[in-house]
Amino acid sequence: MIGLLRAVRKLVLGETVVLPAGIAAAVAGAGVLRAVAGAGGWWEHAGGAVLAGLLVIALAVALRPRR
Amino acid sequence: MAFVLTLLGAALACGLELLEAVAIVLAVALTRRPRDALLGAFAAVVACAVLGAALGPVLVANVALAPLRLVVGVALLLFGLEWLRKGVLRLAGRRARSSSFREFVEEQEALEAIALPAAGRPDWAGRVIAFKGVLLEGVEVILIVTALAARPGGLTPALAGAGAAAVATVGLGFLLHRPLRRLPETELKYVVGLVLTSFGTFFTAEGLDVHWPLGDAALLVLAGGWLIISQLMALRLAASPGEPEPARS
Repeated sequence: MIGLLRAVRKLVLGETVVLPAGIAAAVAGAGVLRAVAGAGGWWEHAGGAVLAGLLVIALAVALRPRR
Repeated sequence: MAFVLTLLGAALACGLELLEAVAIVLAVALTRRPRDALLGAFAAVVACAVLGAALGPVLVANVALAPLRLVVGVALLLFGLEWLRKGVLRLAGRRARSSSFREFVEEQEALEAIALPAAGRPDWAGRVIAFKGVLLEGVEVILIVTALAARPGGLTPALAGAGAAAVATVGLGFLLHRPLRRLPETELKYVVGLVLTSFGTFFTAEGLDVHWPLGDAALLVLAGGWLIISQLMALRLAASPGEPEPARS
């Protein structure tokens, strides 16, 4: 049963919590920027690139080598 | 464009996950009893079918389009970036290459340590192992395919890709297990990571009111961008000192 629970946790969160936490932070940050930019502002055209940039940072942090 | 990428993403994700499930079922069938392995696998397929039949309509019927894009996008990012992270680690030599055949051999060795019940009695250990293996891989397939299918126009390519991959993988897995050893699983899983991450970025941004300048063609730009960035990350990781991750699937 414990093995199954571990497998379910791995299925949902993956092998490291750093990545899902990074994705959550990136999406939350993008949400804040969208709210600040307001409707019809720069966000509508450039928001995709901003989100992609935040996600790249999340992946880079999750890939930091172990010391 | 979106149709082809959805078809490709669903087919590759479904095929690779099912390849791992087939490896577990084969290990149980060859080490213990085929009947118990198939019973466990069948029960898991039924459970996955029920989950898929329940999840898709509930998502589409109860969630408005913008929040649905956000939910689907984040779900695809969770899967896609995890596949991409593993792919980068494998390409950088920081993690063992993916091999369903190695999993098959390891599963067989582990199963040989469990005593078989007397003839005519059910082999619950074999059934549970086959059930768990198929269920866990199957749930991932259901979540990915549901996420890809939830987008307007996504249902047909997602189901077609997943269906074709399921038939091909299960059929070839049982009939031609040895040639499957030569599949470049590491590279294929990396491609799935690229496709799912591109879709995840695209849908999440749409859910946050972004209008992509090129429409669906922006998916190709995203895929190209993630390809370049992840390759650079793999090169940098390969050149930097650090411990390799323990061998996992």
